[in-house]
Amino acid sequence: MPGYTSPHSFLTLGATLAQVPATAPVPADAGMPGTPVAPVVLMILCAAAGVATVMLLPSRREAPLRKVGGAVLLAIGLIFAALLVRWTAGSAGAGGGGMGAYFWIFSAVALLGAVRVITHTKPVYSALYFVLTVFATAGLFLLLWAEFMAAALVLIYAGAILVTYVFVIMLAAEAASPANPAGGVERVSETDAVSREPILASAVGFLLMGVILFVIFDKASDLPRAGDAHRNETAQLARQTEPATDVEAHSAAVMPRLEGATQQLGAYLFRNQLVNLELAGLILTIAMVGAIVIARKRVIVAPADEFAMPSRAAPEIMHAPATPIDDNPHSIPVYGTLNPRQKEYPET
Amino acid sequence: MQHFSHIALQHYLAVGAVMFAIGLIGFMTRRNLIVMFLCTELMFQGVAINLIAFGAYHGNLAGQAFVIFVLVIAAAEASLALGLVVLLFRQKQTLDADAWRELRG
Repeated sequence: MPGYTSPHSFLTLGATLAQVPATAPVPADAGMPGTPVAPVVLMILCAAAGVATVMLLPSRREAPLRKVGGAVLLAIGLIFAALLVRWTAGSAGAGGGGMGAYFWIFSAVALLGAVRVITHTKPVYSALYFVLTVFATAGLFLLLWAEFMAAALVLIYAGAILVTYVFVIMLAAEAASPANPAGGVERVSETDAVSREPILASAVGFLLMGVILFVIFDKASDLPRAGDAHRNETAQLARQTEPATDVEAHSAAVMPRLEGATQQLGAYLFRNQLVNLELAGLILTIAMVGAIVIARKRVIVAPADEFAMPSRAAPEIMHAPATPIDDNPHSIPVYGTLNPRQKEYPET
Repeated sequence: MQHFSHIALQHYLAVGAVMFAIGLIGFMTRRNLIVMFLCTELMFQGVAINLIAFGAYHGNLAGQAFVIFVLVIAAAEASLALGLVVLLFRQKQTLDADAWRELRG
């Protein structure tokens, strides 16, 4: 792969980073000891979490029951986290601490926020808890050396997408129903207050979660450790491009992470994924056009009404009748006449 | 990658899987159209965590590049879906997904 050197420096950088724990006194049993949770325990925990989620999901039950469900779900999460922590401590020997603590904090915040997103009865609060989840996920990305992706996640999700969501939530606020004319902020609509098929959905969701977790912890325990994978791949790459990696390994050792991973990501995108990047821009453009076309307001005014009240309109507003089919470009109101169809369109 | 000496790939995969499952449950249970789309964004997040973790595990940039495209799709989906939500809300004056039951095939 000539002319494609920057990712190599990233790889060698990873190798140098991965060799740090290798040169440090590593406990003899560095391999992953078994699975953290027995499959039976995992399934029992998932079933209990499913029951707790059913209790926690919005419904017409009393508030205390939902509180009990939340407490049970929190307890199950803590039990699972404790099992994972014990397994992690066992696998890392005397290690631990360091950046591990941030992982636990960020993942706990992310998952708590996610649970609140699906259980809160007010959509605005759901959106705000989703912002919390986005920030915690960005923290997880930082721990994985994906600084640019963390920044992009905060900018795009918390900055752009969620603002749009909040706007739509406020735009589409349901009017007070005649049955409950009090309306107001305190009222929670029927749509948000009652969930649909909570038992079935929780069963399916937690079954999926249990199976995936079982596969992750059971089948992935014989994966090579990250450092080993790095060393193997880097050794292969070094065999392919001997001289370049030599220099880059030296420079990486001298100036660690001076050239940021963001530059490397940009170089990778524009060298290897150029067509995909352009297609992504095309998709965004098409989506923008489509969103405008979909959400455009179609004004349907009866001509009689329109002509009956021109006096109420401001003088700079045209009094052309809006036709029922506003998609027709010929129905664009024309200055100087009340009837847009009076204008001649020579192309037709 | 040095912190992988105690936080392994499986931890990140587990977080991603749990987040995906939570989003799935929310998508199936909530009836508010906007919250349903929020739950799909939650599922996107879970998948993005998985992709970034695998990218860091293998030490290449393919995972991050893939997450960029996931973000692009999420942004496009959000704009189109919210436009549709506004359109549907104008027709029935409600955000209830059950109000559109006649759409079943």
